[in-house]
Amino acid sequence: MSAARPVEQVLWWLAAIPATMVIIVGFGLPLVQSLVASFTRDGVLTLANYELVYRLYRQDVVYTVMVAAAGLVLTFGIGIPLSGYLRLRHSQTAEFLLKVPLFVPFVVVGHAMRIFLAPRGTLPSLLHALGLVSPDTTLAISEGWIGLPIALAWKHLALVVLLLMGAFRGVGEEYLEAARGFGAGTFRQIWAVLVPMAAPSIGLAAVLSLTSMLASFSIPLMMTKGSGPQMLMIDLYHRYGLHGDFGTASAIGVVSYLLAAGAAYYYLKGVMRQ
Amino acid sequence: MHVRVEDLTKRYGQVTALDGVSQTFPSGALTAVVGPSGCGKTTLLRCLAGFVAPDRGRLWMGDRDVTHTQPQSRDAAMVFQSYALWPHMTVFENLAFALRLRKVSRGDVGRRVREALDLVELDRVPGIEDRRPRQLSGGQQQRVALARAIVVRPQVLLLDEPLSNLDAKIRHRVRVEIRALQRRTGITAIYVTHDQEEAMSIADMVVVMEGGRVAQAGRPEEVYARPKSPFVAEFLGSTNVLAAVMDPDGRILPSAAGSLIFRAEDIQLASPREPAPAGSAWVDGEIVDVLFLGAGYRAYVRVGEEVIMADNRTPMPRGAVRAVIRLEKVFAFGRD
Amino acid sequence: MNATGLRAPNLRDRPRGLLALALRAALVAVLLGAIVGPLAGLVLWSVAERWHWPALLPQQVGLKYWARITQGDLLAALTRGVAIASVTTVAALVTAIPVSYGAARARLPLGPVLLMLFLLPQAFPQLPVFASAAVLFYRWNLAGTYAGVVLIHLVGGLVYAVWTMTAVFRAIGEDIEEAAINLGASVTRTFFRISLPLALPGVVASSILVFIYSLDEFTGTLLVGAPYVTTLPVYMYTASLGYELQIASVTALVLMVPGVLLLVLMERFLRAEYLAFFGRL
Repeated sequence: MSAARPVEQVLWWLAAIPATMVIIVGFGLPLVQSLVASFTRDGVLTLANYELVYRLYRQDVVYTVMVAAAGLVLTFGIGIPLSGYLRLRHSQTAEFLLKVPLFVPFVVVGHAMRIFLAPRGTLPSLLHALGLVSPDTTLAISEGWIGLPIALAWKHLALVVLLLMGAFRGVGEEYLEAARGFGAGTFRQIWAVLVPMAAPSIGLAAVLSLTSMLASFSIPLMMTKGSGPQMLMIDLYHRYGLHGDFGTASAIGVVSYLLAAGAAYYYLKGVMRQ
Repeated sequence: MHVRVEDLTKRYGQVTALDGVSQTFPSGALTAVVGPSGCGKTTLLRCLAGFVAPDRGRLWMGDRDVTHTQPQSRDAAMVFQSYALWPHMTVFENLAFALRLRKVSRGDVGRRVREALDLVELDRVPGIEDRRPRQLSGGQQQRVALARAIVVRPQVLLLDEPLSNLDAKIRHRVRVEIRALQRRTGITAIYVTHDQEEAMSIADMVVVMEGGRVAQAGRPEEVYARPKSPFVAEFLGSTNVLAAVMDPDGRILPSAAGSLIFRAEDIQLASPREPAPAGSAWVDGEIVDVLFLGAGYRAYVRVGEEVIMADNRTPMPRGAVRAVIRLEKVFAFGRD
Repeated sequence: MNATGLRAPNLRDRPRGLLALALRAALVAVLLGAIVGPLAGLVLWSVAERWHWPALLPQQVGLKYWARITQGDLLAALTRGVAIASVTTVAALVTAIPVSYGAARARLPLGPVLLMLFLLPQAFPQLPVFASAAVLFYRWNLAGTYAGVVLIHLVGGLVYAVWTMTAVFRAIGEDIEEAAINLGASVTRTFFRISLPLALPGVVASSILVFIYSLDEFTGTLLVGAPYVTTLPVYMYTASLGYELQIASVTALVLMVPGVLLLVLMERFLRAEYLAFFGRL
């Protein structure tokens, strides 16, 4: 279809304005403002906000990265073998079950995980009733830092399995048959054929998950313990909400942009390639 | 090692892909399984490979009943129609894959890979081992697929239309090389193709399939010269089929009661004024078109309501003509 | 029945032998526990009238907390959420369709670039951006208003409408429209009488996606709407802050209903690509 005449082009641009304005007003302007605010304190350009971030929150930066990395490892450590198994052996029940977390909102996941993993929550009481695990172990899970990665993985596993199943199903059956014919079992078919051939999609899924986990807010908010290291977004919320310190909050925000920046760039590139 | 199937049956819903097929594939021979699309030849091959489990029947490789054995444990290697070379691995890694699974030592892996590449005559291509499949031509990919199958030194080689993705010229050359390879290694090879000319030119034995059943099996010359059914007669060679019968003088008369089948190369075109020689069938007609085939000419002769093909070295003029065929070259079948 | 008797399993599809079968059953059991477990906890808490550690099940169950749905603040939050989601959905469709159509028909120069623009809010961390938006909205007297909340919902939710509708319009062949124009119809008439009706399934799909996104949206609503405009997610957060875990659980389950309905619908109607968007909800 050839491009429209100039008059039509103008009209189409006009028609696109409302949607574009929403993004500019609701996203673009705020983004720029937060960038500027991060370098501003008491009306002057300064690095004071970043200094404060370094002083107060640098451990939390490490903590955030650690939690997100752990969540990523959990998600893919379970997701890849699971998807590979489902590609080769099929189970509609398993696939359906794995879709469920997609439809559970982040906040609900946070709340559900809180009462599930809490020191007196449903999981510990179940394990206690079954006599499986000692109270110390369950306490360790509840009080320790692994609860958050578990919650993040629970939610993200659904999307990752969806993406991986799509990619794995895109691998022609003949490549797997050839491997099978030459002696490869399920394990080897997954790691020697499926994963390398689906590598671009796995990379994209990893980037999507990592960005989301680094920037997670709702889930940590529901599961926060109040003391100890926090996720960066919680720090931001407190800085802004409790202290009214928009400048430092913005600085935290910029740090989180940087953490997600490389990932976001790859995300857009990957989508554009399609 | 010979291969045998007995009463092999496979159904997909309403469709019967294999209908009680029983056949022996002789040891050390290249057996071609040929037939039109949907005849069951690919299903048969995949049953032999172990990728499809038959609903009924048994399979033997040598003296071993492998009906329920995993593909990995049968001693049969397959060459896929699409080659199925793993794109993320180099040629070397593609070939080494199966060897490493069998825990062959490092040094031996290198040696055997080179051996296999030598057998398919790819060893002359510099740096072939480090190339990826997408960097190879179609013909080279085909040879790598072949090499990958023979590197494990299987007892049985299964080939699924290995040449169908290649250009016609290359096909002719490669099929001869495949035959030479089979002869040199003495491996039992089962070769599926839809191209009857390809099948007959390289096979020691031909198995013609139709509708999930074996229509006829035997040496190529045998099956070609003495087809047992209209289908086999028509499928092999450039054939004419006439709804007709012959009278005692050899004259061909149109009739719904029978089929007369004869090949284009067996027809002599003579003048209608000359009587046909003894021991021949004949029919009068008119040449309506002549095509140049390179090696000769093909005349299209209208006979009654139908048109038959007659091949000849030299071109034939338009006009009335008498088609004469030696009796032993005419296959007569009754119509059911 | 012939001599060989048993029917051999299809090697590709079904597990081989007892071990494989056991493995598969174990897998489904583990998945069931892992996925349903936390959700079951929600259900237990929603009916727990009295529950002391370390009992596995509540000592006393009842629907006391569920009754709260019909009263006061929970109902108000629900109604508000539904109203906002409805407005957001309509606004999203109205603003998205021109962009999507223009991009799909290549009449909009730089269309593909524009499409990328709508992805950005999902690619960046939301909280810092929304917090900054809240500051702006406060200055513009939009903070704590319905309009403000709808706007912030649009920022994140527009992408669902834009991308879905673009795919839908692309799928409708241009020749169908050209046939109408060829017969004398104007571009506008063609659009409203032919293209849009054909795009109806996509409109339905977009509506569902945007509606659920808006209903479940938390961060933006918390920053822009609170404390005057609260939706169900914010209500749930407040309840859990106050250790009213039963109310929070009831709210959480109510929040899940549209999603569960969609899951069932999706298994039958929606395509997998639309599904992938959900991971970012």
